Amino acid sequence: METRAPIRIVLSDDHPFVRRGLRYLLESAGKYDVCGEAGDGNLTLELAMHLRPDILIMDISMSPTSGLEVATQLRQSLPETKILIMTMHDSEEMLRAAAAAGASGYLLKSDPEELLVVALQCLEEGRCFVSPVFNQAFAKQLFR
Amino acid sequence: MSTLKILIADDHDVVRKGLRMLIEEHPGWQVCGEARSGREAVEKAIQLVPDVAVIDVSMPDLNGLEATRQIRKECPNTEVLIITHHDSDEMAAEVLDAGARGYVLKSDSDKDLVHAIEVLSQHKPFFTSRITEILLDSRGSRATDPQESIRERLTMREREILQLLAEGKTAKEVALILGIAIKTSDTHRTNIMRKLNVHSVAELVHYAIRNKIVEP
Repeated sequence: METRAPIRIVLSDDHPFVRRGLRYLLESAGKYDVCGEAGDGNLTLELAMHLRPDILIMDISMSPTSGLEVATQLRQSLPETKILIMTMHDSEEMLRAAAAAGASGYLLKSDPEELLVVALQCLEEGRCFVSPVFNQAFAKQLFR
Repeated sequence: MSTLKILIADDHDVVRKGLRMLIEEHPGWQVCGEARSGREAVEKAIQLVPDVAVIDVSMPDLNGLEATRQIRKECPNTEVLIITHHDSDEMAAEVLDAGARGYVLKSDSDKDLVHAIEVLSQHKPFFTSRITEILLDSRGSRATDPQESIRERLTMREREILQLLAEGKTAKEVALILGIAIKTSDTHRTNIMRKLNVHSVAELVHYAIRNKIVEP
């Protein structure tokens, strides 16, 4: 049987319940190693630089350094680390801002939990992921 | 020792998962049900009669504050703990007014949440020191605030309908959701607009956002 090294993940969200929920979902999926957790942007930067994870799952709304600022900084210093944004903001402006900051995936907290591993799989394979909520908006325009 | 039954309501799967993990690590505590909207929370509370309901403020269909009012009315022995990311004095006052006796910010620690559930299960109020500060600070200013609050002007049913209308539902859809006649739903809408002195749905939406009945 093929054994692969687990995908190393750092979680960044200022809400402890969200981090706990994410950690549980990832650990039950089997192939992920949650190697670190941070509750603010500055700590996330520090932790990511130190741990060099494969994927960083990060919220946007964090003070004093937002997830977008962290993404912008990491894109230069850690280009190998993929960033999956996980946020409550379902606006297209925010999606565009996240993409511009260098994120590869954009998942909403209101999305079904099953989509988390789908999004991660996309990032592992070098593809991007956008919450299906945005496809709906696109489809509505298209099929009006 | 009997089991403490806890209902959790949040529209985010990952938050419910986190809450469930945290609660179930505690011996003697059981998550008896989960809800994704305020309306589902009220239904489940009536059906399961939990000791404590942990309720998020921002939920679709019926927000957490309105759900709290209905739960406190239907199940007076169920204590409600509000969790929210809104850190403001208006929100703290709203939470108390709705009948919740505990209020934890989502950015507060796991320990705060566990402690809050412990305290509420003994039918005592719980507020973190940060919230107590907010409440004490705002006491004086609220007493002299001449602006009438929305709660004194609209009935519970009207606030419920206001949220549905502000979410873009038509009077017909509102009637279907609430199981009332379209005519009744229409009358409610007319009354709401008259009481709030607004003349279009756009103004209604604006009002609902300003008063945190829906999220922008």
